[in-house]
Amino acid sequence: MKVKLWGTRGSIPSPGEDTVRYGGNTSCVGVTLSDGSLLALDAGSGIRKLGLQLDDEPRRLHILLTHLHLDHIQGLVFFAPAFRPQTELVIWGPSSPEASLRDRIARYVSAPLSPVEVRELPCDVSFRHCPEAEWEIGPARIRAASVSHRGPTLGYRIDDAGSSLAYIPDHEPALGADLGHLPEEWISGFELARDATMLIHDGQYSDQEYSDHLGWGHSGLGDTLRFAQRTGAQRTVLFHHDPTHSDAYLDQLGAEAGRRWVELGGEQGAVTVGAEGEELELPVRAAPGAAALA
Amino acid sequence: MSNVTQSKVTQRPLELILARNLMSSLSTPAFLVDEGGVLVFYNEAAGILLGRRFEELGTVPQREWGSLFGPFGADGEAIPYDELPLVSAVRSGHPAHAEFTIRSADGAEHAVEASAFPILTAHGSRGALAMLWPSEEREAGAGAAHANGASPA
Repeated sequence: MKVKLWGTRGSIPSPGEDTVRYGGNTSCVGVTLSDGSLLALDAGSGIRKLGLQLDDEPRRLHILLTHLHLDHIQGLVFFAPAFRPQTELVIWGPSSPEASLRDRIARYVSAPLSPVEVRELPCDVSFRHCPEAEWEIGPARIRAASVSHRGPTLGYRIDDAGSSLAYIPDHEPALGADLGHLPEEWISGFELARDATMLIHDGQYSDQEYSDHLGWGHSGLGDTLRFAQRTGAQRTVLFHHDPTHSDAYLDQLGAEAGRRWVELGGEQGAVTVGAEGEELELPVRAAPGAAALA
Repeated sequence: MSNVTQSKVTQRPLELILARNLMSSLSTPAFLVDEGGVLVFYNEAAGILLGRRFEELGTVPQREWGSLFGPFGADGEAIPYDELPLVSAVRSGHPAHAEFTIRSADGAEHAVEASAFPILTAHGSRGALAMLWPSEEREAGAGAAHANGASPA
């Protein structure tokens, strides 16, 4: 799998001279599977640039939405392939007892917030509620699970060619919980991230900031690191940066994260701050027990 | 780096995780069962009432946990497991309420009221949550209210 971060920011696009290196676009991650097919994780403003680099060949595109907060869907109406009749667009997301995924997304993709309606999109678009069981997209096995955030919210795990990517951009697993001591079965998102090759996780707040944002649905740095440690993630990418965090601030946060990770017993360089435009390749991992069989 | 244990336990549904987190922060005794009726958690306040911490006990299969505190009615007869509010809530999907007496590990008896609520999601039942209120506290609270000149609405 190859991963490209098209938008790493949380809450609201934050362009400007202070956010040039880590980027100002909101959540979107492109994942190229082992057969060359492409998935998009979330459709924040970053998906606009992902769409611009795709040619107009007929293709099926899957977009996996974690939830429907604006910073995760605001790029949908600026996603160029959605305006091509030869595109088949499959949008996955969380179910809700209140309305279908299509109807909830249509609240944004409709007047007066949008110049186009869902029914007017030229592409062949469909909406699917994520099942509780694993399913397949091309060569990948996909798993979705509800995680602790505000409103119906999913995290995803993608397994392909021996590597696994866990994507949990909006997550507050430590709300009312002690991540250091709680049994793993009781930790939100644990199974998604268990032994993942790469974990892309909410890194919105420093510990000091988190104390003023309990219950907002995001993590403080210490909780993100503890979650990564407990789940055994090999590499962790801090994501969903607070819009007030400048490049300089994120440099400091990254340095602190790296130092604390090593103090926790982790590998140097295994925790980084996600930057817009960054491309990451997941190494192929042998299945557990494979070494013993070799 | 990993301290992940090799023994895999199925991840609890988020709704139960959040319920446990809430219960852990409450001073009201509270009990949690999964959709199969297994007692999967009770909080510190419940542990004080029962005289045993949950960590000492762990999860308890359905039908077994009721006898931990021997609930019995005003007539002194044991209340059948099937009639406990928590069991009723998880089976029927409706809230349930009852008054009974429980016996803690040290033999002390406590009259309580129990309200149980099913935890329902778009994917079906996840379990049920019950909270207990010692009846003595309600009576004491009512007495205090009257002593302060308050009148029932």
